[in-house]
Amino acid sequence: MSPEKRTVGFYVLAVFFTLFVLFLYGPLSAILILSFQGETGGLTFPLNGVSLHWFANLFERQAVGDFGGSFKRSLVLGVMVMIVTVVVSLLAGLAFRQKFRGATALFYLAVASLVVPSIIISLGIGVVFQQIGFRPAWYTSAFGAHLTWTLPFGVLIMFAVFNRFSPAYEEAARDLGATSWQTFAHVVLPMIAPSLIGVGLFGFTLSYDEFARTLMTSGTFNTLPLEIYGMTTNVTTPVLYALGTVTTVFSFLVILATLGAILYVGRRRARA
Amino acid sequence: MTVALDRPAIAAAAKPARRRRFAFGGVTPYLQSAPLALILSAFLLLPIIMIVVVSFWDYDFAAMYPDFLTTNYSDVLGSWVTWKTYLNTIKFAAIVWALTLCIGFWVAYFLAFHIRTTAMQMVLFLVCTVPFLTSNIIRMISWIPVLGRNGLINSTLVHLGLVPKPIEWLLYSEFAVVLAMVHLYTLFMVTPIFNTLMRIDRSLVEAARDAGASGWQVLWNVIIPLAKPGMAIGTIFVVTLVMADFSTVQVMSGGQSASVALMMKNQMSLLQYPAAAANAVVLLVLVLLIVAGILRIVDIRKEL
Amino acid sequence: MTNTTQTKAGISRRSLLKTGAAAVGLAAGSGAISGFPTIWAQSNITLRQFGTGVSNLNAIADKCKADLGITLEMTATDSDAAAQRAVTQPDSYDIADIEYWICKKVFPSGVLQPMDVSKLKYYDELVPLFKTGKLTPDSVIAQGTAPHTVGYVDAQDSKTFAKAPTNWFTMVPTIYNADTLGIRPDLVGRDITTWADIMDPAFKGKTAILNIPSIGIMDAAMIMEATGNIKYADKGNMTKDEIDKTIDFLIKAKQAGQFRAFWKSFDESVNLMASGEVVIQSMWSPAVAAVRSKGIACRFQPLKEGYRSWGGGLGLAAHLKGAELDAAYEYINWYTSGWVGGYLNRQGYYSANMVSAKKFMTEDEWGYWIEGKPAKGEIKAPDGTVMEKAGAVRDGGSFEERMGKVACWNSVMDEDRYMVKRWNEFIAA
Repeated sequence: MSPEKRTVGFYVLAVFFTLFVLFLYGPLSAILILSFQGETGGLTFPLNGVSLHWFANLFERQAVGDFGGSFKRSLVLGVMVMIVTVVVSLLAGLAFRQKFRGATALFYLAVASLVVPSIIISLGIGVVFQQIGFRPAWYTSAFGAHLTWTLPFGVLIMFAVFNRFSPAYEEAARDLGATSWQTFAHVVLPMIAPSLIGVGLFGFTLSYDEFARTLMTSGTFNTLPLEIYGMTTNVTTPVLYALGTVTTVFSFLVILATLGAILYVGRRRARA
Repeated sequence: MTVALDRPAIAAAAKPARRRRFAFGGVTPYLQSAPLALILSAFLLLPIIMIVVVSFWDYDFAAMYPDFLTTNYSDVLGSWVTWKTYLNTIKFAAIVWALTLCIGFWVAYFLAFHIRTTAMQMVLFLVCTVPFLTSNIIRMISWIPVLGRNGLINSTLVHLGLVPKPIEWLLYSEFAVVLAMVHLYTLFMVTPIFNTLMRIDRSLVEAARDAGASGWQVLWNVIIPLAKPGMAIGTIFVVTLVMADFSTVQVMSGGQSASVALMMKNQMSLLQYPAAAANAVVLLVLVLLIVAGILRIVDIRKEL
Repeated sequence: MTNTTQTKAGISRRSLLKTGAAAVGLAAGSGAISGFPTIWAQSNITLRQFGTGVSNLNAIADKCKADLGITLEMTATDSDAAAQRAVTQPDSYDIADIEYWICKKVFPSGVLQPMDVSKLKYYDELVPLFKTGKLTPDSVIAQGTAPHTVGYVDAQDSKTFAKAPTNWFTMVPTIYNADTLGIRPDLVGRDITTWADIMDPAFKGKTAILNIPSIGIMDAAMIMEATGNIKYADKGNMTKDEIDKTIDFLIKAKQAGQFRAFWKSFDESVNLMASGEVVIQSMWSPAVAAVRSKGIACRFQPLKEGYRSWGGGLGLAAHLKGAELDAAYEYINWYTSGWVGGYLNRQGYYSANMVSAKKFMTEDEWGYWIEGKPAKGEIKAPDGTVMEKAGAVRDGGSFEERMGKVACWNSVMDEDRYMVKRWNEFIAA
């Protein structure tokens, strides 16, 4: 498409898109502004002065709760979920390239995993662990709960990737005498690498932000979203907004890094 | 438990094809899909079976008793509150679905067909993604200072003299719930639609145009039919997220509006698990029926 | 794969701790307990406690580590999640910090063990409210799930509550308070004297009550009775008919637009008030203080019908034994020995051991918070911020005046199944 000159449609949609972006960022900017709230300011407007107080406060001990510990747990859990999601989705994606008994059932099970309301999974896993006598913890029960949320996304993406992955490349590699492992490692893997990075990133974000599924499965210690929620049972300060601002900036950096990684992989492939 | 089974699967994955050479009729796919099957069985099937079992149990003040009772279901299904709450939740789902579909489609369409370079497409897409990486809870409560009685919008409107006094229904209303949900979930619609739009063969559009189709005709007869799978997937995401939501409804309506999951939460807060489980089973069946309906219209497996 | 190994490692680490601590525990037990033995310091013993952010304060964990050497791992949750965790994840904690009304459900489920009163060093100093239900010998026992009704069991293995004090305590009371309506004196524009004032059409769309069913219904009951609509036999244990009347009343008020919101967490109530969304609402004392600390006028208004009260305590997980159990007793004894009491009093809550808490407060603080006297100097919060200027008097007056006027306690009713069903109706209406 892309005609030589811009149509009216383009301008209408450009305005629409801009409004959409403003809508997305509007409340975020409220957070951003309020995170610079003065020392005596509260969670709502008006601003009582401007300061960096709450950013400094973020690294101090709070009256209640523990940002550091819960952030570390969420980070570790996110990475664990990310790795398992990438590996398991890749394997499942490879499996679905062939016909096997139960393939359809497994596919629909993955879809079901996506649509079963989070709170039900949370309740169910909690009750199962209680009945079996396992001790729930963020790295066992909550880990499993998060995987039921991230895996379907990963599997669907890999499914889509392999659906239009031409076997011609593999055949060519094999004709040139590559072993199956070489074919996989040097042909298939580099081609699907960007998607894998995408799956990983998706897995991490979904886990990092997960709330309802963690609610009854986290065991002794809270993940970050639970901690934030728990902290609202005492006096809360704009430190929450400072956290939001820092998280957004952090996410932004992760995205940039990922983008860099994809570009790097692409360039290396181009060179090869 | 999983240790013994995981290992061969991973080994098999490491050398998939070499195995295939000695394969006796394709053990490989079974080994490759084993981890997924195991994880989903342990953390999805088992818990759901448990919920179903518990929903038939008896309970009293402090404990649950294994039993086979249908009273939990007759309580749930026999009360008008349940029906009203389900209707309310479905109403939210429908409104949010329509809005996110509309917004999501045009945003994806703009990105896919009006932005010329891939780099620019990626950048703009990421611009849309960034807000979704901030904690849902924080993103939700960030609406409060914007919409409140003395919030940004109201104080601006009053200051400009557009309204005599602050608009009350901006916050703690169904409007606020829908607004926050659209804000939270639109990306789940944009991504799959963008994905399918990017995959439409541009020569189809050219061909339609050469055959004399107008812009609207191309859109209506070529692009939208081809974008259906993406819309279906986005619909599944959005509808299930809204149906299961409790925190957005609770916070944004100021506790004035009901949702199915909130009803379950209230029961759980007084430790009435069998009642909550029966509610959960009803909700689950409903959601699965909706999704099955969508899947009947669009076979996402083929279209992915 | 990873999860299995990690769990195992976790268990073995804990059992190692137990054996290691056992020897130390013996030593501690044999030594005369004068002051607090710092022996725990060498044992690395860890106690895991959860509860709402109201009392799960990091300052307490720090001080506990310094005084006892016991590492206290605190997890703050919202009040719903606290009840859930207590019952469904009994292995995930050693000490449960929960409220008395939910204790009525949690204790019979068998996840907590009663404590031996003879091991509680400060048992005799605890406020009688938690033993007999009476603050002073001639006070009237308030309605609802009063702490003393769920405070004792008959024997160590019993799960049914005893009618009178026994040797087995279900929870050690730690923190409690009397709640009433918070108001914005600058915006209400008239005197507020009764719970019924929240229904004044003048405040239409500017009021709020709690959205935790068991507590919200008590707010409603106070309002109902104040408006003269009904006289309950026991607000804290309504009959189905009384529940119906109360909920119908709430539904009518909701549909008429009387309420702006129903709040669930502490900071929601603070924000509602501070942002002017609401001018009169059911509130907690420290929430009022939080609003005031922003320079916004806010009063914790005493009302003629009296207060709606709540209380929390520490319970021992059923799985605790040996050295860990000893450490838990040690911790609880320390908790009631004064420092924490002073800390809680200074936040506007009340400590269950006033005798020991007094030693950790200045005369002025004691006078302001407990005796209801005007502050002589600035009253500061535990973190050092100024809460009140000299001359200020606490809303509601002294400890006796406030806790002596409790009309009812937060409750779990016998008809709680019916109550939740109707509460869901109210929210859906």
